[in-house]
Amino acid sequence: MDKVVSLKWFLGIFTALFVLFLYGPFIVMGILSFQQGPEGGPQFPIIEWSTYWYQHVMGYAPPSRVAPLPIGEALIRSLTLAFATMVVSTVMGVLTAQAFRRRFRGSGLVFYSVILGMIVPGVLLGLGMALLANQFGIDRNWWSTAFVLHVVYTYPFAFLVMLAIFNRFDASVEEASLSLGVSPARTFRKVTFPIIFPGVLSAMLFAFTLSYDEFPRTLFTGGSDVTMPLAIYGTFAVEIHPNLFAFGVLTTLFSFSLLVIYAILLSVSTRRQRARASGLQEDIS
Amino acid sequence: MLEVRSIFKGFAGVPALSDISFEVSENEYITLLGSSGSGKSVMLRIMAGLLNPDAGQIFLRGEDITNRPCHERRIGFVQQKYALFPHLNVFDNIAFGLRHRNNDRMTDESLITRKVSEMIELVGLTGQEQKMTGQISGGQKQRVSLARTLVTSPEICLLDEPLGALDANLRERMTIELQNIRKELGISFIHVTGNEFEALAMGQKMLVMSEGRIVQQGEPQTLYTMPQDLITAKSMHSFNIFSGDMMADYLKAGIKGKVPATKISRASHCAVRMDKISVANSSAKASGLEATFLTSEFLGNKVIYFFKTNDNRICEVEDHMSLSEPKLLNANSTYRLSWDASDMLLYDENKQLIS
Repeated sequence: MDKVVSLKWFLGIFTALFVLFLYGPFIVMGILSFQQGPEGGPQFPIIEWSTYWYQHVMGYAPPSRVAPLPIGEALIRSLTLAFATMVVSTVMGVLTAQAFRRRFRGSGLVFYSVILGMIVPGVLLGLGMALLANQFGIDRNWWSTAFVLHVVYTYPFAFLVMLAIFNRFDASVEEASLSLGVSPARTFRKVTFPIIFPGVLSAMLFAFTLSYDEFPRTLFTGGSDVTMPLAIYGTFAVEIHPNLFAFGVLTTLFSFSLLVIYAILLSVSTRRQRARASGLQEDIS
Repeated sequence: MLEVRSIFKGFAGVPALSDISFEVSENEYITLLGSSGSGKSVMLRIMAGLLNPDAGQIFLRGEDITNRPCHERRIGFVQQKYALFPHLNVFDNIAFGLRHRNNDRMTDESLITRKVSEMIELVGLTGQEQKMTGQISGGQKQRVSLARTLVTSPEICLLDEPLGALDANLRERMTIELQNIRKELGISFIHVTGNEFEALAMGQKMLVMSEGRIVQQGEPQTLYTMPQDLITAKSMHSFNIFSGDMMADYLKAGIKGKVPATKISRASHCAVRMDKISVANSSAKASGLEATFLTSEFLGNKVIYFFKTNDNRICEVEDHMSLSEPKLLNANSTYRLSWDASDMLLYDENKQLIS
């Protein structure tokens, strides 16, 4: 009995420590982002609590010796890139997974060549792409060469998510729709897609977040207009101020809000079903 | 109205269907009986257009529809596990075909509501319209699935083991209701089942399938009393079947009355209905096939007695309670079984009935 209790304590403390290490950097960053400015540096102790660095990131702080973070445009670029990558990867992932519902000749080969995109080290892929682009005289840009690599990288993730979804998908509902006289295309829109929609959301989320903070592939192929992770790294290499931390907190909050939107979208669809089921819908209308 | 002409189908070289031909008339209830793996579901999927045959043709009102895609056939298909749309409620499930089909799509919601409501009433789902499919019972799902198909007024409706997942009570009720619904609409039904009672009770015409072939088709009563094929007899689960070297001895011992010796010599198999066998004490002078009583099974309206013959075959005897009192038999005692020559069916080496 004593042994079980001590094991419980051990595992509990171990887990607590693990969580602490996991969130440690973020907590430190969060605390330091409230450092006094512009004199306060990115280290303890906190001289005085303030929101100066948040104002600084937003551009509301009066000019000082600390230059504003060169991230405004980079952020827009990153968001645009992540959005485009998300759309393309998810569409391709859904379509490919749909194709894999039937065994076809060479399906094994296709499967591994798709998966390769996420297995091959990003540095190698980035370097290779950069060399290839130079060879053919193609300019390297975040919206061209880097975009292609982002899709190559996130597409396998979207594909795998959808593969798992289709694995549990019961094709008999599609057959039912066909036998009711509904065309295959309309069956996909009206039956298949609504059922796999939660999976599609997951695939989108995956693709977006992976692309949003992608580093090595973008480093080699992004060209001169940097994306957000590269911009942050650039400031880090010179001298850092707590404005970077404030920015970090903001982007993390942004990611969280994406997750919250995802959760809301999911629960809305299930709640609507539940509401209808319990007859609530009738009362409302 | 629907004609299936020599359909062949194989999977990876293994034949699943060979030379299937039959016809369905207007306003007819057909049952298709077969054990699992007999190819009955494959046949149904080919008719529905969900599978392509390797050879053969299907005609609907004289038109060749063999290569017509599923959604243009106007053949309804009620699946075994209902396959309801999980994201839609009962009403929308039933209205789905009317709203989204390619031909004759309905956009007038009031018309859709009227048609769907009529169908809901016909299948007895009134009051369930707004429920989601996860919140209704198995029997109700079955009704939704049926209503969803029937509301689109298909030329013909295929049902794949429609009562398979229902409990016994519900099954009996649905048997009657299915027939009533069909009569009301005047659509032909093809009902696939592995249950001989269902097939016998429901079909105006019955097909028996085995190993990818139709072994016999006809009226249920004829199939039951005079199975032309030994497989048909077997699938009725109402016959004792004797085959092999010992058969002639069995017959000699068991038959009351005369059977021409030439007929017996041609026979390779013999089938005797379970309820046509009489049991006598071994001590009595009565002749008959010697067999040891093992046990009996009381089924309410009938009793089934299990005997073991001297070469360890099981022989079943059925007694209907309305006809006689249950027998009092001692376990492990020897009895003599006998039957009238006229109640015995003989089959040749090709398993065909010798008339």
